[in-house]
Formats: sequence, structure tokens, C-alpha cells
Amino acid sequence: MNKANKYSPENCKWVPQLQIKSQKYATICPAIDEYNFHPYSGGGKIIIALSYQMGRIKPSDELRDIVYKCTECGGCDVSCKFLNNLEPLEIIRELRERLVKDGCGPMPAQQKYIESVKKVNNPYNEPHEKRMDWLPNDVQTDPNSKILFYVGCTASYRRKEMAIATARVMNAAGIKFRLLEDETCCGSPVLRTGVKDVFLEAMNKNLDAIEALDVDTVVFTCAGCYDTFKVDYHLNRNYNFKVIHAVELFDELIRSGELKLTKEVPLTVTYHDPCHLGRNAERYEEWDGDEVQILPLVSINIPPKPKRCGAKGVYDPPRNILKSIPGLKFIEMERIMEYSYCCGAGAGVKSAFPEFALNTALTRLEEAEDTGADTLISACPFCSTNLQDGIKEKSSKLNFYDISELILMALGIDIGKIKEEAGEVA
Amino acid sequence: MVLEKEVFKEFEVAVGVGNVNDGEVITDVYAYNWCNEMFNFMEEKEPIPYSPRPKAVILPSTTEEVQKIVKLCNKYGIQFKAQSTGLGPWNSVSTDNSIIVDLRRMNRIVKIDKKNLYAVVEPYVSGAQLQVEIMKHGLNCHMPGAGPQVSPLASATSMNGPGFTSPSTGHSSRNVLGVEWVLPDGEIMKLGSWGLKNYPDWFIGDGPGPSLRGIMRGWAGAKSGIGIFTRVAVKLFPYPCSTDFKISGHSPNYDFKKPDFMRLYVIDCKNLKRLDEIIIEIEKEEISFMCSYLSGLAVMAIFANSIGQLMNLMPVGSLKSPLIIIIAARTKREYEYKQKVMDLIMQRYKLKDIIGKQYTPNSVFYGEALRSNLGLHGFIATGGFQSSCGVADSAKICLNTSQLNIPLKKIYIKKEALANDFGEGGWMSSYESGHYFHFESPTMFDQKNKHSVKGMAEYMVRSNQLHLLKHLGAPFFVEGDRMHDIFGPHMCNHNIWLRKIKTTFDPNNIADGGFYITPKKD
Ligand SMILES: Cc1cc2nc3c(=O)[nH]c(=O)nc-3n(C[C@H](O)[C@H](O)[C@H](O)COP(=O)(O)OP(=O)(O)OC[C@H]3O[C@@H](n4cnc5c(N)ncnc54)[C@H](O)[C@@H]3O)c2cc1C
Repeated sequence: MNKANKYSPENCKWVPQLQIKSQKYATICPAIDEYNFHPYSGGGKIIIALSYQMGRIKPSDELRDIVYKCTECGGCDVSCKFLNNLEPLEIIRELRERLVKDGCGPMPAQQKYIESVKKVNNPYNEPHEKRMDWLPNDVQTDPNSKILFYVGCTASYRRKEMAIATARVMNAAGIKFRLLEDETCCGSPVLRTGVKDVFLEAMNKNLDAIEALDVDTVVFTCAGCYDTFKVDYHLNRNYNFKVIHAVELFDELIRSGELKLTKEVPLTVTYHDPCHLGRNAERYEEWDGDEVQILPLVSINIPPKPKRCGAKGVYDPPRNILKSIPGLKFIEMERIMEYSYCCGAGAGVKSAFPEFALNTALTRLEEAEDTGADTLISACPFCSTNLQDGIKEKSSKLNFYDISELILMALGIDIGKIKEEAGEVA
Repeated sequence: MVLEKEVFKEFEVAVGVGNVNDGEVITDVYAYNWCNEMFNFMEEKEPIPYSPRPKAVILPSTTEEVQKIVKLCNKYGIQFKAQSTGLGPWNSVSTDNSIIVDLRRMNRIVKIDKKNLYAVVEPYVSGAQLQVEIMKHGLNCHMPGAGPQVSPLASATSMNGPGFTSPSTGHSSRNVLGVEWVLPDGEIMKLGSWGLKNYPDWFIGDGPGPSLRGIMRGWAGAKSGIGIFTRVAVKLFPYPCSTDFKISGHSPNYDFKKPDFMRLYVIDCKNLKRLDEIIIEIEKEEISFMCSYLSGLAVMAIFANSIGQLMNLMPVGSLKSPLIIIIAARTKREYEYKQKVMDLIMQRYKLKDIIGKQYTPNSVFYGEALRSNLGLHGFIATGGFQSSCGVADSAKICLNTSQLNIPLKKIYIKKEALANDFGEGGWMSSYESGHYFHFESPTMFDQKNKHSVKGMAEYMVRSNQLHLLKHLGAPFFVEGDRMHDIFGPHMCNHNIWLRKIKTTFDPNNIADGGFYITPKKD
């Protein structure tokens, strides 16, 4: 928490200033948009960390409530780092860990799903043995493949259409893949609430299980699991395989001609960048340098310390895919890529503060509608759930598809059947 | 000290449930602000970045709600402090009997009058928000050097107003037109043509009858010490070049498509005497979009977005008396004309432009200049800066101030309390075709380092004393009782007059006068 005692974090409520395109969409932080008081913003949370560290404020329900009303989307982080040296997201995470240690976190609803992860390996309290139930009989897997498809809890139990569509696209491209028989929660929803020990357990279980297999690549359909493996596992333990999100794989397959999208898909679509696939999926680069004082009060990093600004998120692959679908018109929203607006579901918010999650989705949906698109696409089961909840709430005319479903349409595969399958196996 | 239950309830009735909060965490966060540690030190308090905790924070959404809040404050003898975008310590409360009125829910652009060149805005509209909307009509607005994230209303009504684009967009104090103002007793005052009985509109700031603009904000603003401004009209200007604002790439290495008719000059005038002549010459011709004198280190800072990059910019940092000029035009002919004028001036003074030869900035520099983002680079070196001395006067007085301040600053650089800018650290910009200038000395210190905070505070106090000793005019930060009472006797006893204004407009002393003046003395 020493990072809290640095610099001046008052003005972080905006998208990078140079990216503002209209007054309507000139904010980045869902929490301050919802709750208005400054402590809800990234800057406000840094001040909270400082006040807490200085003993000015004590553990309380008020403190917990404010600290957990944040989707950890990282929007503040990107806005801030254009010029500053602050790490708002790291501070928010450390603050949560500290509250957990001090018995002031997580929220009761989050504690419930954490217990469920401990007990049945998923946050939905679903039977572990039903994890593979999403898998249709005619999807082909190969237990000897070097590619592992890590499905994740949400695609396994709640957004089965994503798991099915991803598997079917791989089948269509002739990509052989295997599944992890004893797949358990990646730990992301646990980690984001600051409960580090349970997260580490989940991580070790998964890594031990995967490393026992002879795989060189793990493919994800869930942006949350992908981010967790790519960034958070990597920070805590080295592993010996490559991680890619399905959109990266599919983009490669389309470009190499192994996946041929021939069927016209006459939709006008816009794409929502999941935070876990975009700005937060940038790895920390190793830096083994020193902070060297070159003049009184002025220090520099030698060698220069890489800044994690979200630039290395997965932005082009989903866009390449959309642009290669015949008959499809693709329009961008105003807030995209590293300055994308969050769907509202992340970091335990959907379970602890459903109204906040829904309102954030409604804001994002309005932005999608304002593009004139008839269809909203994304690549994350959390975003999918929350945005579809928003569509229902709003009675929006927008269709919603995961990008893998759209690929299936372009392959001429009946997606209605998949929805049915997802329903059947539910 | 939280609000009493019934009082809380009444505020809640005024602004709606959820919009009043007196919790420990909420109020403590509003007590934090940049540079509070230094102001605390000056007041002989512990140098921590916190003011007293406000009693509560309230979020009104309309002028009527603001009016109700102010009336309740009068009823219960509670003081208020308004904040719009809340960037600096001046929005902090000065007593534990104050509430903060955070105006962030008042965020509407009420009107854009593209024919008469003004826009009416509420407090939480930021400069960038206003700019993107008026750019759609080929227009631009003034933003203070604080950056595009701050409120044009706060700048126009309540605080300072110099900006990097001032040669083409003026000074906030001169850009303010019609005003809607909730006085400290809860009455609504409308200034200028907005106050007319028949056909009220926002197009002029003075009258009806005697102008109250000076009373409303004077030189540096009343900083919420004389009421709450809820809507204001600000002047608009033609956008200087094509409004096609194209940013690509990813943070922090964005690329900007520089508009066709935009050019940066960085020239070394070699000494301040020549700089004085040259800047006036350029400004007389009314060709610049931006024209500033910056110290070497400040020039390095505006071209860098990290300390590492800054250190690689020695060629621009070694210029002795640099002028940074941007010209921009909407047509080729206008562009050629402006370049020709620059060429002639450069020939006359035998000047060389280093841009494209010794140095070529990243394209994003031009985007930041157009969006008035350059001021935020001041945080790069040490993470903290504040301006010390500051005047608005002729270029000569400004440059004289700069020179006289250098030996003083060097004392604190030697003590390792301030970052070494060779004592120079200046920024001077021109207003209204060189009719007047403003100068300030941005100074880098480390907010986390007590020795540095102490040194910065002492240096600021002594900079102000220097203004008196050397007859340099009113510095920026004459604010609060102590400073007004020091400077008043040297400046037409302005402190007496200011107190009279305060007591007339605020008979119950309800507007927190911490950074303005309080009625306590005569
Ligand atoms: C890094 C940095 C650089 C700066 N550079 C400049 C500069 O170049 N030029 C310049 O002019 N200023 C500068 N400032 C000072 C200040 O930020 C600006 O003057 C700015 O325009 C005010 O915006 P704010 O967000 O600070 O406003 P706020 O903090 O909201 O308000 C500023 C003051 O006005 C009062 N106020 C705000 N809104 C109202 C209202 N509606 N009614 C009554 N009172 C109100 C507040 O109480 C406070 O005293 C700088 C500040 C910083 C931190």
C-alpha cells in the first residue's frame, strides 16, 4: 500500500482526454457514474487507501461498501497512466486484500460464492460432476491433443452456448482439442475480491492438473479465465504452456485460410471489448531495474520500466474476425479498446450489487444503440450475461451474440440449434 | 463532526435520498487534496494533504436545489464550500463547520449559440466535453492550463484563468458573459443580459446597471467565498484549424494526425530582453494559436510523457530563452500568411526554429496542444508541482519577476527541497494581442517528502514577500485572511474593500471564506 502515498489522484474520472468524442460518453468509471461521490472513483479509492494506511478511517460497513463498489475494470488505470506514474488498479486490489486481512471484506454475497468455489469448484454452487454437461455428443474432442480448451465455470454452467460454439468452430476448422476432466474455477472471481489464499489454491489446482498433461496451448472462451491465467497466474507461478483466447485462434485460422467464412451474415454489429480481454489482459513485463535518483527529488528507472497501459490487450483479432465475415457491417462505439467502458459485471459486482451492474450495462447498451447497430457482439461470458440482462431490462432491440456464434453463422451452421443445445443441456 | 439527524433529513429532502452523505469515508476523501500539505504547513499545522473534514457532502442537481441547500445552511449556521471539478486545494473546507456542495450532477451544456459565439454550461461540464461538442460547429473554447478535465465554469467565475491557448482564447476572467449565481443568503442573482427583465439572454456579462463582474471574481476568483455559480455563459472562438481530430494507436503512445495547417516553432531568443521584444512583435500580429515563454525544463516536460523521455530531451532543455509558438489556420492562404509573418520576424531578429532540425516532437504533442492538455505534464518530474510567484502585467514586469525570483528559488534548490530547474521554471503567456501577459513559476517538489514540502512552503511565502519588496504587483496566491491582510496595506487597502463586499453579500458568513476572506477583521 505504499503506492497510495504518491502523487495527486484527484482527476481520474475521464477517458483519456484525447479520446473524448462527445460529452455523452466522456466518462470511464462506472462506479462514480453510478454513485457520484468522489470516493467511488479510482482517485477516490487511492485516497481511501492512504487514509486507511494513515489510520484516519477505520474498518466499517461504509468502507467495505465503497471499496467493493468497483468492477476493477481498469479504466482509471489507463486514463491515469497516459501521463502519470500511478497504479490505481493495483492500489484498489491491494486495498481489498488488506480489508480481507482486517476482517472487513469481501461482501457477504461474494463470501457465499467463494465458499462455493472451495466446496464445488465453481462460484454457482453447481455440482462439480455436471461441469461437462454442456458438451454435445457430436462435438469431437481428442484426448491426445496438445491443445486444451479451458471452458471456465460461466461457459460451463451459465453460457453454454459460448462453450458449444467455440468447440464447434474448432471442429469446423479441424483443430483437435482436449478438455480438462477435472477443470476447476480459475479463481478470478475470488482474486478480484481480495481473497488471495483461496485464489492461490485454485491456481495451483489448475496448473498442477494442466502441467500433468502433455499440452502446449490452452485456449479460452472466457475472457475472465484468460486474463487470470495470462496475467495473474503468471505473476504468481511460472507455467510451461501458451495461453490464447479463442478470438486469437480464430483470427489466425481465418487468416491462414483454415477457417473459411463464406455465408453472408447481413447484420450491422458493434463490438464490446471485455476488460478482461482488453486493457487488463496485458501482462506485466518483467523489469529488474532500479529507481535511480539522478537529481535531488528526481528519480528515473534504469532501464526504463515498462508501463502497463492496456495497449497490449487483445483488440485486433475480434475486429479482424468481424471484418472478414461476408455481408456484415461493423461500426465502432465511441469508447473502445483500452478506453472501453465496462459492462458492469466484474470483480464481484454482479453478485453483490446487481443494480449497479445492470445500470452500467444499460449505459453501455445505449452507447451500442447510438452507433445504429442492430447487434452487439462480445467475447466474454460475464459481459454476455450482464449485457443480455440489460437488453431484457431495457427491452432493447439489440441482438446479442458471442463472437464464436457469429463465426458459426458465417460458416453456415444453424445457431438456433446451438441455443437449443445450450438450453437442452442446462 | 457529522450533521444532526434532523438537519441531515432536511438536506436529504432538498436534494433527494442518496445525495447527502456524512460518512467517515466519504468526508475524509473530500478532505484530501493536492497541496493541502503545503497550505497546512504555512498555517503551522501538520503537513498532511488533508483539510478539516467537511460535515457532509451534498450533490444537488439543479439551481433550485443549490438554493435550498444555501438557505438551509443559513438556517442552521453551517458554512458551505462549492466544488465543480475539484482539482485543487482551494475547494477544501477551512473549518469543521462546513459542508461541501459537490456540483458533479450539474453537468449540462445548456446552450450553444454558434452565431453569437457563446455556450452556457453548468459546473461539471469539463473543458474537453465542451470542446468536443462545439468542435462540431467549428468552434473552440478557452481552457485553463489546469487541463481539459476542469470546469470552464469554475475557471470563469471562481478561479484564475490563464491557459496555454490564451493568445487565441483569452483569459477566463475576460470570457465570462451572463451568470446565474446563488448568493450566500440563498437569493438568485443574474448577471449581464441574463438578468434583463425583458428578453433575458446570456450574450453579455456586464450590467444591467453597474457591472458586478469585478465583485464576482476580481482577479483570482472568490473560490466559493461569495456564493455558488450554477450556470455561466462563456465566449467561444473559431477552432483554429480543421476539426478532424484523429487519434490512433494505444496509450500512452498515441498518434495524432496533425492538421494540414498547423506548425510549431521553438525558438531561442537568447536573452529575456530580446524575448520581451519578440513576443510582443509576434503577438501584435495576432497570428499565434499558442505563444508561451517556458523555462528549459518546462519545454522538456511538454514534449515528454514520462521522466525517462524527459531526460532524453536535453537539446530542447538547453535553450536559454525559449519561445514556443503554434500557428494554425483553416485555409492554405491564412496559413501561408501566418508563416510569412513568422519568417519576417525571425529574419529581423535572426532567429532559428529548432523544430524539424534539432528536434521533432511526437505527433501527439499537437493533439495535446489543441486539447489544452500540456499543463498536466508538470507532474512528470517529481509528481508534485505548484506555482510560486505569479503576476499579470506587461511582459517586462513578468520577465523581471521571473529574473528576480531565480536567486530565491536557487536557495531552496540548493537545500534539495525543490527540483533543479536552475531557478528558472517559468511560464509566461500573452493575452489580447500582447496587451498584457501572465507569468508564473511552476515549481517541482515532492509532496511525500516533509523537507521538500517545508521548503516549497517557505519558498512560496518568500516569493510573495519579494513581490512587495521589488514592487512586482499582486501575485496569484493572495488568498485567505492572512495574505490579504499582508498585501492589503500595500495595495490600496483592498482587504478592507474585499471584507466589505464579503459582509454585504454574505451577512451571516455562510460561504466558507477560507481561500477568500472572512469578515473577522476591519
Ligand atoms: C496541475 C494544476 C495546474 C493548474 N494550472 C492552472 C492554470 O494554468 N490556469 C488556471 O487558471 N488555473 C490552474 N490551476 C488551478 C485550478 O485547477 C483551475 O483554476 C481550474 O480552472 C479550476 O478547476 P478545478 O477543477 O480546480 O475547480 P474546483 O476545485 O472545483 O474549483 C476551484 C475553486 O473555485 C470554487 N468553485 C468551483 N466551482 C464553483 C461554483 N460553481 N461556485 C462557486 N465557487 C466555485 C471552488 O471552491 C474552488 O475554490 C491548476 C491546478 C492544477 C492542479
